[in-house]
Amino acid sequence: MHDVKPGVRDLGAPAPRSRPSAARRAGRALAPLLWLGPALVLIAVVVLWPVVEMVRTSLLKISSSGVTLGSTGSRNYLDLFDETDLIPVVLRTLLWVAGVVAITMVLSLALGQLLNARFPGRRLVRWTVIVPWAASVLMTALVWKWMLDNYSGLVNRLLLDLHVIDHPVNWLAHPDQAMLWMMWVAVFVSLPFTSFVILAGLQTIPGEVYEAARVDGAGTLRTYFGITLPLLRPSVLIASIVNVINVFNSFPIIWTMTQGGPGHATDTTTTFMYKIAFFDQNVGESAAMAVVNFVLILVMVLLYLRASRWREEIR
Amino acid sequence: MKRHLMGAIAAGLTVALSVSGCGKGSSSKGDGSDGKTIKFVAAIYSDNTEPYWQALIKDFEAKNAGYKVQLEMVDWAQMDAKVKTYVQTKQVPDLLNYNAFSDFARDGLIYKASEVVSPQVLSDFSPTFVDQAKYSGEQYALPFISSARLLFYNKALFKKAGIADPPKTWADVKTDAEKVKKSGQIGYGLPLGPEEAQAEFYSWAMNNGGDWVDGSGKWAINQPANIETLAFLKDLNKSGLTQPNPETTDRKTVFNQFAQGKIGMSIGGPFTKASFIDPAKKNIDFGVAPLPTKAGGDPSTLGVMDVLASFKKDGGKNKEAVTKFLDFFYQKDNTAKFLTKEGFLPVTKSANDLLSADPYMKQFVDALPTSKFAPTGNPAWTAVAGAVKQSLGTSVADGDPKKVLDEIQKTAEKSG
Amino acid sequence: MTRTPAGRRPPRLRTVLLTGAGWLVGLVFLLPYLQMGLTALKSGDELNESPGSYLPHSWQWSNFVDVWSDAPIWKNIQVSLLVAAVATLVTLLCALPAAYYTARNRFRGRNAFLLLVLVTQMFAPTALVIGIYREMVALNLTDTLMALILVNAAFNLPFCVWILHGYFSSIPKELEEAAFLDGAGRIGALTRVTLPISMPGVVTAVVYTFISAWNEYIVALTVTASPDRRPLTVAIPSFVTQYQEHWQYLFATSLIGIVPVVILFIFIERFLIGGLTAGSIK
Repeated sequence: MHDVKPGVRDLGAPAPRSRPSAARRAGRALAPLLWLGPALVLIAVVVLWPVVEMVRTSLLKISSSGVTLGSTGSRNYLDLFDETDLIPVVLRTLLWVAGVVAITMVLSLALGQLLNARFPGRRLVRWTVIVPWAASVLMTALVWKWMLDNYSGLVNRLLLDLHVIDHPVNWLAHPDQAMLWMMWVAVFVSLPFTSFVILAGLQTIPGEVYEAARVDGAGTLRTYFGITLPLLRPSVLIASIVNVINVFNSFPIIWTMTQGGPGHATDTTTTFMYKIAFFDQNVGESAAMAVVNFVLILVMVLLYLRASRWREEIR
Repeated sequence: MKRHLMGAIAAGLTVALSVSGCGKGSSSKGDGSDGKTIKFVAAIYSDNTEPYWQALIKDFEAKNAGYKVQLEMVDWAQMDAKVKTYVQTKQVPDLLNYNAFSDFARDGLIYKASEVVSPQVLSDFSPTFVDQAKYSGEQYALPFISSARLLFYNKALFKKAGIADPPKTWADVKTDAEKVKKSGQIGYGLPLGPEEAQAEFYSWAMNNGGDWVDGSGKWAINQPANIETLAFLKDLNKSGLTQPNPETTDRKTVFNQFAQGKIGMSIGGPFTKASFIDPAKKNIDFGVAPLPTKAGGDPSTLGVMDVLASFKKDGGKNKEAVTKFLDFFYQKDNTAKFLTKEGFLPVTKSANDLLSADPYMKQFVDALPTSKFAPTGNPAWTAVAGAVKQSLGTSVADGDPKKVLDEIQKTAEKSG
Repeated sequence: MTRTPAGRRPPRLRTVLLTGAGWLVGLVFLLPYLQMGLTALKSGDELNESPGSYLPHSWQWSNFVDVWSDAPIWKNIQVSLLVAAVATLVTLLCALPAAYYTARNRFRGRNAFLLLVLVTQMFAPTALVIGIYREMVALNLTDTLMALILVNAAFNLPFCVWILHGYFSSIPKELEEAAFLDGAGRIGALTRVTLPISMPGVVTAVVYTFISAWNEYIVALTVTASPDRRPLTVAIPSFVTQYQEHWQYLFATSLIGIVPVVILFIFIERFLIGGLTAGSIK
């Protein structure tokens, strides 16, 4: 590295005027490989390989015991589209993702602002916000399930004592209530990450910007919507994409709290896929569901990226 | 430079694929060993299960030098997923403790029973269970434990409500449940959640002349007797005589409440006392009675059998070790110890008398001859049970019994 | 309401409101875990009472002792920590060069790479679990910690590449060039100038990967078999089985697992905030 003469060429960018030797040219051609190689190998081996397996499986007939019985063409897909529960499950999934992510983003913007403001005990509050992040989603889902227990749960006890309800409510047994509670848990576990991304974003906004706004006589709201929010755009973009992907693929919350039941009334595509494989004993159709699942999220993320003009961010 | 990048991806994939090729070859060879080490996947029935197997294996290895058993304990909740991945990836254990076997037999994955136990052991199994262990007329599975279901009732609650005897007919069940409800508790505990909906439903349906299949063995899940059964259970629920939301309630919830003295009646098994009633330390006074029938005829009981199955591997090299281990387990004392620790019923003639000594257990042992079993010999049963677990409960809530059963019938016919 | 910075009044009401809101938020976030703690201290038969009790009738501190003897949870915690830590390291080692290079250089295939990263991010191990298991069988890695490390590293790599790419891009080239001109060399400029400034990004990547690995459930459930190679997430639910519900042990074990990570986080949080203020990007 030290043999490179400083100032001869721009950092990193290939120098168009110099005439490199063949060896050098080869070296430069291989440079991206050197830097990107480890990441590419890891992605290819650990992520893409199972993807190929999955697509292949979706075209196979697999017996209930798990033995492969040869190719079956599009049969698995036809069976899947024939499921009466598929459309409701897909719609519910979209609602679940949109609802959880939207609420998470709004609450996180407020929370980020709060955690950025000065007040006594701020550090302690920041620590408590971290806790759901440090506890695994599974543990958090389990404790909420326990608190919502029909017989011994804290939520019923509290509401009974406050005379909000006069007999215990079996929260997780009624699909609508269960969905709302599970969305709350999903929001609850997404808040730490999201609000910290927002907080980090807030801290990169230089103080002078606010000074300037104050000099211009902008009010709090105008400052927020005119200056803070636009400057937070990259953070909001990253946080919401990560949330869309995570919430879409979220399994432990629904699986621990309702198992997608009663019936398929609280299933999302992810739990539905799991049930097709392990309750209906149809691995091929389940793989088809996985492929459809992937196409769905791909479309969602691409639409989102297009709407938010991601190319500007990546440049 | 794009070309190089693509080249890199291609190279990465090639490496990946070739590694996969080699990997497969070597792993199947590596497994072969000397045929003296076997892998045993056992289900967790309670906290006692793992220590039992560990002790048994230690004993076995001490008495059979050179033989080794690798134990893997799997929780029932994770068992189906585990078993499926084993078969899919050709990583089957030598011996599996499970609740189904017929699709393994159909797909030629497991040995016949006669290939992996001695003739003495084979002839010791009770005939009721041998019938359940057959696929296409041949015995493949080895009966492991059995269980039967009877009606548990809370004597104190019955007394308080002014009920003298446990119910014999469905009409009795309803009136008794009403009386218990009036005295302030839950009349009947109805678990139709995903855990074991098929067992609860069948316990009622069989006593109404209903069944999973018709006389010729064809699926008949939406037959009138079954619809009628669900209509009765739905009526119990809608009349407020059950605990709230049977469609999402699992058996353990019902029995925890029963053990707290809050439920008048519920259907339970031999394990109910040791697993739920005793740990609650409420000393409730309970009785056990035959399952009620629609019109008061001879009651049947739900029989449940779990099995051991041995997978074919390495051209039969594992047979000898598996046989040695199975013969060791089926020795009278070893089997009986498992049954008493876990609270299950025997599947062998020799262990029968041992358990009849306990008056509580005797009631269940005595009920065994009247047992009816789910059609586990039909390879489609696992898929049917899966569909039942997922959706049957909705029929007593907002669903229509006939539509729900039609839907399950459709799944059954699709699965063969 | 034009105020000069010097003439700012102490905004009393605002501070009071903020403090109130802040502490309320803290309470909401802690409540489930307080309930976890209280449940972990109840006895088994008390748990089935209805309605449930707020505080334990008798405080069963022994529950916390029992879990250590009942299950190999110390092993499970070690596995969880080891897998999460090594996976984080692997991810970072792969992500840093890739993110840096794509942020600093234009080359053909750059957009293809970034798109690949984005698409990969959309795959969750949950959806691919059978494929992953098949792969691990092929690589002879079933029931090994290596399998868990690889999976966690690979599936978190895209996010890390992405976030680091963003941070590197936001650092003006001129800063680095200045160091470069001072004779620091390219690597020197990277390690002495760029990395310290991008610390917040690195910390975010580390935290994100660590936590995802710590949370991972499905793959660990499928790939591991031996009780002493299972991470905490797989060990914990086994306290609630078909026949027995040991909520008290489940939550006791959960807490034992949560506390060290919360402490770890508290240290990282200081660092994160510190790194953020130091990296004043203007």
